Amino acid sequence: MLAASTEIGQGTNTIFSQIAADALGIDPDDVEIAQPDTSVVPDSGPTVASRTCMVVGKLVESAAAGIRHTLVDAGFLTAVFTRAEFQIACRRYVETFGSLRSTSQYTPPPGLVWDDDKYLGDAYGTYGWAVYVAEVSVDTATWETRVDDFVALQEVGKVINPTLATGQIEGGVAQGIGWALYEDVVWREGRMVNSQMTNYIMPTSMDLPGIRVYFEETPYPYGPAGAKGIGELPMDGPAPAIFNAVANATGVNVTRLPLTPERLMDLMDA
Amino acid sequence: MRVAVTLNGRPLWLDGHPMARLLDVLRASGMTGTKEGCGEGECGACAVLLDGRLVNSCLTPLAHAEGMSITTIEGVATESTLHAIQSAFLECGGAQCGICTPGMVLAAYELLWRHPDPTEDQIRIALAGNLCRCTGYMRIFASVLEAARKLR
Repeated sequence: MLAASTEIGQGTNTIFSQIAADALGIDPDDVEIAQPDTSVVPDSGPTVASRTCMVVGKLVESAAAGIRHTLVDAGFLTAVFTRAEFQIACRRYVETFGSLRSTSQYTPPPGLVWDDDKYLGDAYGTYGWAVYVAEVSVDTATWETRVDDFVALQEVGKVINPTLATGQIEGGVAQGIGWALYEDVVWREGRMVNSQMTNYIMPTSMDLPGIRVYFEETPYPYGPAGAKGIGELPMDGPAPAIFNAVANATGVNVTRLPLTPERLMDLMDA
Repeated sequence: MRVAVTLNGRPLWLDGHPMARLLDVLRASGMTGTKEGCGEGECGACAVLLDGRLVNSCLTPLAHAEGMSITTIEGVATESTLHAIQSAFLECGGAQCGICTPGMVLAAYELLWRHPDPTEDQIRIALAGNLCRCTGYMRIFASVLEAARKLR
C-alpha cells in the first residue's frame, strides 16, 4: 500500500490496512504499508484537514478493489477464495504479466466544484456532524470553571476502527476543553511569550472529566465503506458547549477563549 | 565522573559530568526510549524509575544516580515479550503519537507496583505528571485498568 498519508499516531496505517484488506478480501495483517517517502509513494496530498480516511482511504479502497478485479478478470481468482488461493493468484499474475499494480486517482464527487487556482468552491463533498454536551461547575470564590461531564455524539459516516475513532474524539475533546479553559497563547512583539509547559497550561489527567463518546453512522457514498473525516471536528464543539453551560450557570455570555478565572471575574464584575 | 548504576538489571558504569542530565546520559548509552519532551520537568516524557520511584530524568543529575537501580522503558519488556502494561496500551489505544508513552508506561508500572488494583482516582493522580496531547487520557486510563486486570 503506497500513499503519502503519514502515520502520526492517529491510526492511518491501521485503518488503511483494514480498508485495503476489506476491499481485497484478505486479512489486515497481510497488508504492508510503505513509508511515506515521496520518492517511492504517489503524492496523495498532505496529512491534514480530516481528509486522510475519507479521501485517501477511498483511493486505497478503490486501488485495492482494482487488484482484486484484475485477478478475477485474469481468471486467477474466483469470487470466494482463501488466503493461500489469493497468494497463488498474485504469484501467477506476476509470473505471467511481470507486475501487479493498481493506482487510484482522486476525482471530486459529482456536483462538487473546486478551483485550485482561485481557491474557490467546495473542497469537501461532506462533513461530519456532532452534538456536544458539557456539564460544568463554576467556583464562585476563585472563578475557576471545571468540566464535570462531557458527552460527544459523533456522526462519522462509518466507524472504521472503534478504538481508534473513539481515541480521536476523546483526544480532540480534551484539546477543545484545554482551549476553552486553560490554553492562552500570549503574544508580545511577534513572539509567543509563554511557550513552555510551565506557563502554557494544558489539561493533565486530573483536569478532564470522563469523556463519553457515542457514534452515529450515516454512510457517505464517496468515503471508504461510507466513512467521513473526524480528526478536527471534536476540536470545534467543546468550547461553545462549555461556554453555554457557563452562561447557564452564571448568566454571563462568554465570547472569548480561554475562559480563565481572571476573564470570568471581569465578566462577572462588568 | 564514573557512576556505578544498575541499568535495567545490568550493573554498569555511566560516564559524564556529575551535573549532566540523566536523560542525556541514558540516551547516549543507547537507551533512546527515554524521550525529551519539555526538558523542564513538566511533561514526564523523560520519566524513568530510580530505585523504583518515578523521576523526571531531565531534572536528575547523573551524580544523583550513583549506586541506584535505573529502569527505562527498555527494561520493562522481557526479551521479545511485552509487559502486560505495554500490551494493554496496544489493545486499548493508550498510545497515539507515542512521545508520552515510555513515561506513561513507567508511571503505570510504578502505580501498579504500589496499587495492583487501582481506582480511577488513583490512576489519575499517578499519571498527573505525565502529559498527553493526543489521547485525552481516557484510553490510557482504560489501558492501566486492563493492565491491572491482566496482572492479577
